[in-house]
Amino acid sequence: MSAVFRNNIKITGSGTRCMLFAHGFGCDQAMWRFVAPHFEDSYRVVAMDHVGAGGSDLSAYDARKYATLDGYASDIVEIGRELEIRNGIFVGHSVSAMIGVLASIAAPDMFDTLILVGPSPRYIDDGDYVGGFSASDIEELLASFADNPLAWSASMAPAIMGNPDRPELGDELTRSFCRTDPKIAHEFARATFTADNRHDLARVTAQTLILQCREDIIAAEIVGDYVRAHIPGSTLTLLDATGHCPNLSAPHEVTTAMRHFLSPNPV
Amino acid sequence: MVGKAIALDYKNLFDLAPCGYVVVGDDGRVLVANDWITSLLGYAAGELDGKRLREIFTMAGRILYETNLAPLLQIQNTVSEVTLDLKRRDGMAVPVIMAASLVPGSSKAADVVRIVFVQAGERRQYERELLDARKTAEQGLREQQADGELREQFIAVLGHDLRNPLASISAATRLLAKEAVSDRGRQVIGLMQGSVLRMSGLIDNVMDFARARLGGGIGLDLTIEDTLEPLIDQVVQELRASRPDQEVATTYAITRSVQCDPSKIGQLVSNLLGNALTHGDRQQPVRLVAETTDHMLRLSVSNGGDPIPDAALARLFDPFVRGQSQGYREGLGLGLFIAHEIARAHSGTLTVSSTPLETCFTFEMPLRH
Repeated sequence: MSAVFRNNIKITGSGTRCMLFAHGFGCDQAMWRFVAPHFEDSYRVVAMDHVGAGGSDLSAYDARKYATLDGYASDIVEIGRELEIRNGIFVGHSVSAMIGVLASIAAPDMFDTLILVGPSPRYIDDGDYVGGFSASDIEELLASFADNPLAWSASMAPAIMGNPDRPELGDELTRSFCRTDPKIAHEFARATFTADNRHDLARVTAQTLILQCREDIIAAEIVGDYVRAHIPGSTLTLLDATGHCPNLSAPHEVTTAMRHFLSPNPV
Repeated sequence: MVGKAIALDYKNLFDLAPCGYVVVGDDGRVLVANDWITSLLGYAAGELDGKRLREIFTMAGRILYETNLAPLLQIQNTVSEVTLDLKRRDGMAVPVIMAASLVPGSSKAADVVRIVFVQAGERRQYERELLDARKTAEQGLREQQADGELREQFIAVLGHDLRNPLASISAATRLLAKEAVSDRGRQVIGLMQGSVLRMSGLIDNVMDFARARLGGGIGLDLTIEDTLEPLIDQVVQELRASRPDQEVATTYAITRSVQCDPSKIGQLVSNLLGNALTHGDRQQPVRLVAETTDHMLRLSVSNGGDPIPDAALARLFDPFVRGQSQGYREGLGLGLFIAHEIARAHSGTLTVSSTPLETCFTFEMPLRH
């Protein structure tokens, strides 16, 4: 089956270099709607949904394959092969930052640049390492899927009728965003929050930009510092934005930081 | 009325509303929370103001908020019917339903999020019970399906194993028939051969039933038969031999070649004829008509006798239907079901009409699939 179909690939923009946007746990490609369009004038912009999220092909979901982030990373590599991406830019939010790290290690020629928004190589504290969550926090999270599956079901993202304040959303208003199947969300949460990719960071050869928010409880500043210290030659930009989703809450700041990193000396 | 509306005490309405109100600034801190939610969570009045919103969420709630609800608020400005747990000051979880809207800021003011909470303990309990009931039902269904599959496999294996000894008996009766035996012995051998034939038909039906039920449907081995008449007539002869006292009248007008599985068509004819011979009035002949038209093969088998009651007619092609008349002492009640399945597998139909004059089964199929 085509990875382009499976991952609900949307291609816009024009340019010789490819910029692939990948969303994190809990949402879908709508996550990038205020950022991606700004790069359409100079890049071939590719947006995707991980299998289980958004408009992906749910029948392609395989609990074994997606039990770890490697399954998601192999999808990125497949997409890159199908679209013949070389020397591309991978932009990954949240867990997709580590998925991109794994994909870039597996296929170093595919992405020579990584932009990691709110990355965390390990969410659970371990000895001196601070991930921000205790093992019991994550147990509580995983138990909540069984205890209160409605919280994670699609019914909480009802289609809304109209939103005069946000005309840019256009006709897409009628669909639900960030749809997830509760069972798949549960397994994605397990893959995400129990992953440990600290040892992979040193193997990254791509130029890497880390975008770090303030007051992000999912990936705290100390975690961003850890990633910067362990990916060789990486750059960290601390944004003024707070929370975990600057791509939605402060798209301008994200876009500016990305542009600056990609072409620091504009003509 | 208008005067009354203007006189509403909004502060009182906010604090003493029968639900929780929280207004959150863009730094994630509570700007103001009403008395209802403050006391529900075990805080003193005003004590929640200035706290981070995350402090009243359980860990699962925090992650849900940060990874899903906050993005949704940014994308569509509103979320509703969110079921989550809040955390009381003493750490206990309080199930609630939440709705929120984001009020976009301006150059002067930052975004704020307005949140409403309604208690949902009973409802959560009910949901949990529904969930448990569904799990139990699913488990029961899975077990029943496994049992059913096992039974059907058992039938398939049993049918297969019965064939070999039956083939030996059949060969033995043929050998015996060639020996010099008394007239009485010849008669007994004839009866034995009739029984072998009937039993082998039953085994075929049982195995086809198991196969049809095991999901594969009846498998066909399709060939193009230039003339079906000898095949059909052989079946007729065999049944005539086993019921020498009953008359079977045949009319053949097969002028075209037919794409079919000949052994299955033979089985269908055998099942329909066997049914007519068993249930029809023995004084009247059973009539078989086999003919082709431009596009169809049509086979009909009719018999006289009491009509089939309407109630039985509706379920006639279901498996194991029997006992609606005095007959059906022999056979498993599978014959008509299998005939119907064979018709279906050939993209054809098997229909029945029953009047005091005659009961007639008609099989029709297209000449080519």
